[in-house]
Amino acid sequence: MSVPASIVAQTTYLEAPDDIEAAYEFCEQSGFGDGLPIIPPTLERVERMLMFCDKPRDQPIMSIPPRYGEATPLRIAANAVMAGCKPQYFPIVMLALEAMGEQIYNLYGIQATTHPCAPLIIVNGPIARELQINAGYSAFGAGARSNASIGRAVHLALVNIGGAKPGAGDMATAGSPAKFTYCIAENEAESPWQPLNVDEGFPLGATTVTVVAAEAPHNVNDHESISAEGVLKTIAGTVATTGCNNAHHESRPVIAFCPEHAATVAGGGFSKSDVKEYLYQNAQIPLSKFSTENVERRLRKKFPHRYANAGLDALVPMVQRPEDYIVIVVGGAGKHSAYIPTFGSHRPVTRALQHEDGRLVLSIQELRNAR
Amino acid sequence: MCQLRHRGVAAAVICSEPFVQLAKTQAAVGGVADLPLIIIPHPLGGASLEVVKARAEVAYEQLSLLMRDLLQ
Repeated sequence: MSVPASIVAQTTYLEAPDDIEAAYEFCEQSGFGDGLPIIPPTLERVERMLMFCDKPRDQPIMSIPPRYGEATPLRIAANAVMAGCKPQYFPIVMLALEAMGEQIYNLYGIQATTHPCAPLIIVNGPIARELQINAGYSAFGAGARSNASIGRAVHLALVNIGGAKPGAGDMATAGSPAKFTYCIAENEAESPWQPLNVDEGFPLGATTVTVVAAEAPHNVNDHESISAEGVLKTIAGTVATTGCNNAHHESRPVIAFCPEHAATVAGGGFSKSDVKEYLYQNAQIPLSKFSTENVERRLRKKFPHRYANAGLDALVPMVQRPEDYIVIVVGGAGKHSAYIPTFGSHRPVTRALQHEDGRLVLSIQELRNAR
Repeated sequence: MCQLRHRGVAAAVICSEPFVQLAKTQAAVGGVADLPLIIIPHPLGGASLEVVKARAEVAYEQLSLLMRDLLQ
């Protein structure tokens, strides 16, 4: 396949073997990828990926730290091919990366930190359903191509374009399995509350991605509580942990209710705002539970207005304001919710999938051959 | 620091040993591949005041050499 001159000027091409095992070996030797087998990003495959791209293929949408590589749609598409994405997934991959480029997300810090965070991508709206992004059983786990490959494509772009290689650009002490891929849809059909994107100010019916620099999910097992207060007390107990960044940094951790817990809590009359207020009030840790060094060297110094002279019974909330909690509903049957702590010095970002003129994209097919 | 160097201000970065590669990458990306690095032992987090002072002495020695070179 001939390569357009405009692309040749922008991009370095590498000759690689056609054989899939040899291509896998080539990527490993060249330092590309995440250690798993990849689909070789041939020109034909990258072209197919770009069928659903409505932006100029060689104009960067962002630069990705720490190397500050220019993330053009072309380069992102190559990573999406490697990850196993269908071309229809590509607009979600692009949108997630664009959201991560916002300053408040603090992508540099997230890429280079020693903390085990990975970009959690939460997809809301009709296109999440159109692309069959799993919101149900094992949504955080393996099984759905869309979840697996969208999250993986984002991570590969962070590594291959941004240079987040372990020990060089990604300084995570031990990292997280969530770095391989971390993408879900909210289970809007089984949520008793309005979806996350409406919480964040977007219209119902918008397709959005919310990106959160997050730890892997921490399980909240509660098979016994049959009241809203009971379920929330168990969640609050799981949230209130001293070794978590949210105890001493301002951010927005995620509470991922399973549908059964959500039904119990909503059935008890709790709105989402009520849930956030309850958790703010009850997921608090007395200073006495922290090590003396953490109290004296961190909490008293960082929050002197609260703790400079406070007794050891003073309480430390896990967010700075009740509305900082992100509440979603995810999963199938069963009584396992999840608490998802975050990196500090970071704010999650939500973006809607829109046409250039600002109209919402209502079906992914609207983007086919849009350019 | 790269921006300071671009403006003609003498600058250096203090980093602990495991972060040298990241610092070099950042300096090169920032267009100042020769940005001086003042390298101290790891870790710094959780260090006692004595350890912090020892780290500062290590840094001070390197800083003195850098300033001497700069003034010559």
